[in-house]
Amino acid sequence: MRLSLASLFYRSPFENLQTHADKVKECAELFKRAAICHLHEEWDEFERLTDTVARLESEADAIKRNIRNHLPKGILMQVDKFELFDYIREQDKVLDEVEEALFWLSFRPAGIREEVANDLEELVEKVLPPIEKLSDLVAMATVFFRTGEEEERTRMKSLIRDIRQHEKEADIRERELKREIFETMKDKPIHVFHLVRLVEIVGNIADHAQNASDRMRAMIAR
Amino acid sequence: MDAVILVIAALVGLYMAANIGSNDLANAMGTSVGSCAITLKEAVVISIVANALGAVLAGGYVTGTISKGIIDPSLFAHNPNILMIGMFASLLAAGIWVNIATYFALPVSTSQAIVGAVVGFGVLSVGAGEVTWSKITIIVLSWVTSPAVGGFIAGGMYYFIEKKMMSAEDPLAASQRYAPFMVFVVFLVLILSFIFKGLQNLHLNIGFLQTILLAIPLSAGAGALGLWWVRRQARPECKLRPGQEAFTPLDRLFAQLQVLTACYVAFAHGANDVANAVGPLAAIFSVVETKAVALKVSVPFWMLLGGGMAVGGGLLLFGTRVIETIGKNITELTPMRGFCAQFGAATTILVCSRMGLPISTTHVLVGSVVGVGIMRGMGTLDLRVLKNIALSWIVTLPFTVVLAMLLYKLFVFFLV
Repeated sequence: MRLSLASLFYRSPFENLQTHADKVKECAELFKRAAICHLHEEWDEFERLTDTVARLESEADAIKRNIRNHLPKGILMQVDKFELFDYIREQDKVLDEVEEALFWLSFRPAGIREEVANDLEELVEKVLPPIEKLSDLVAMATVFFRTGEEEERTRMKSLIRDIRQHEKEADIRERELKREIFETMKDKPIHVFHLVRLVEIVGNIADHAQNASDRMRAMIAR
Repeated sequence: MDAVILVIAALVGLYMAANIGSNDLANAMGTSVGSCAITLKEAVVISIVANALGAVLAGGYVTGTISKGIIDPSLFAHNPNILMIGMFASLLAAGIWVNIATYFALPVSTSQAIVGAVVGFGVLSVGAGEVTWSKITIIVLSWVTSPAVGGFIAGGMYYFIEKKMMSAEDPLAASQRYAPFMVFVVFLVLILSFIFKGLQNLHLNIGFLQTILLAIPLSAGAGALGLWWVRRQARPECKLRPGQEAFTPLDRLFAQLQVLTACYVAFAHGANDVANAVGPLAAIFSVVETKAVALKVSVPFWMLLGGGMAVGGGLLLFGTRVIETIGKNITELTPMRGFCAQFGAATTILVCSRMGLPISTTHVLVGSVVGVGIMRGMGTLDLRVLKNIALSWIVTLPFTVVLAMLLYKLFVFFLV
């Protein structure tokens, strides 16, 4: 026996969104470790971490599909369904780019040129905070949509500002690094191609994290 | 012989009342238990007391509509026993349907069930031409409009709270400021329905204007008392109930307001839905006592009280287990949202029962929850349930009509 009123309530997509964001956060840490392994030429460990990220990515993908497939017509939410889909797409793209960056790294197992290794590590460090913060953002959103308190919204807004700031810094770092690559490796076109592309992919990670947070900002707009 | 009939009729009435309790009242109380505003035990106590009070103090009107609005009792003047058997069949048919529906978690209206059953009996006994269809049209219309009204009031309440309190710099201070107003409104509607209906049983003739003039200071007084209590209970040092660990101070304030609306909704339920069980019973008793068909059946006080308590008892017996699950499964139901939904529902029910419309508590409640949801204040709702409601509208009437007809034929065959 169930209560008819209980069947009126539908499972909130935010539970799944949180799981997805947590996977993203987990991958961010793995990505950093994998990148460091690559720079120090620890190939076995790098392989293992890349595999783990690939596995997490496909799990996250399943969650994303689950959210999309289980919001049929007739579900009334506090946020627009398509805004939510936009958000999760961007959050998922973060993972895609992380995976892509690791694959791209693995294409040149000979290692990264000494000259840029430190700068690259620094760039990786710079793009991590925005992705890690997405998990906090989703947690705050869950609270905000439950209580509707202005205080929580203010906290979310400041977190979104933080993410934007981090992305900006990563962007600047990305540009500097590209210039440096072009200058130091004038005679090694293959290296230039590999590194520039790599830097772009790593930079995209932060871009997508920021896009996601912008979507969240739209969802909590009053 | 009379005594046997009365006992059997009373038992069937009890059966119907218990079914109403486990279906309608369980939904109404589930909202409060779901948000952890009250415990299950408190819900049961509130249900029994407030429901009985509602039935006694404000339950007269609807009973009138059911026993004489749909078919004219004077048509049975030559053979009162037919009316008695018919009402008995109706009561049983409605009880069975509500029982089945509760089992399948169909949000069915107990009021629709009884109206359908009486129609079925009426068509067989006096013919379709004698059934007051116009009255039924109004009732059916109110089934559609009452959830809408409930949704409108609940949604409006949510909008007000959202704008004035949740968006404020200091939501808690803003809520404390507006709490007196909300308590006052709850009491105003309550006291108005007390005076309009309850005092009618005492045969006081008070005009509309006097009623209003009387109600306002009374509500202000009661509101002040209620406010004192709400503030007292919402103090941070006050003991937390299970499930309230994660409550913010604002949650605690609204949890206390919700205790108030839980009483309110149980009272409204008693005023409206107890009549579904008691109305036909009153008709049967009147026939047995007077051996004639009375044009006006007044429901005795003890029957309203007993009916009200039986509905609460039904909740205790069959409803507790389902209410328990609601609390665990609906995390998005916060005290503030529960308050809005219950306030909208109870107000609508009281107004509708004042107009003599036997509406469905469950439907009004669903309407109120959706109303808050449309204002983007109720987590994630599955509106496909509304389809189930429409389905239950479509199914309830034919089912109870046919079942009442069958039972009526059966009883007539054996008894007459």
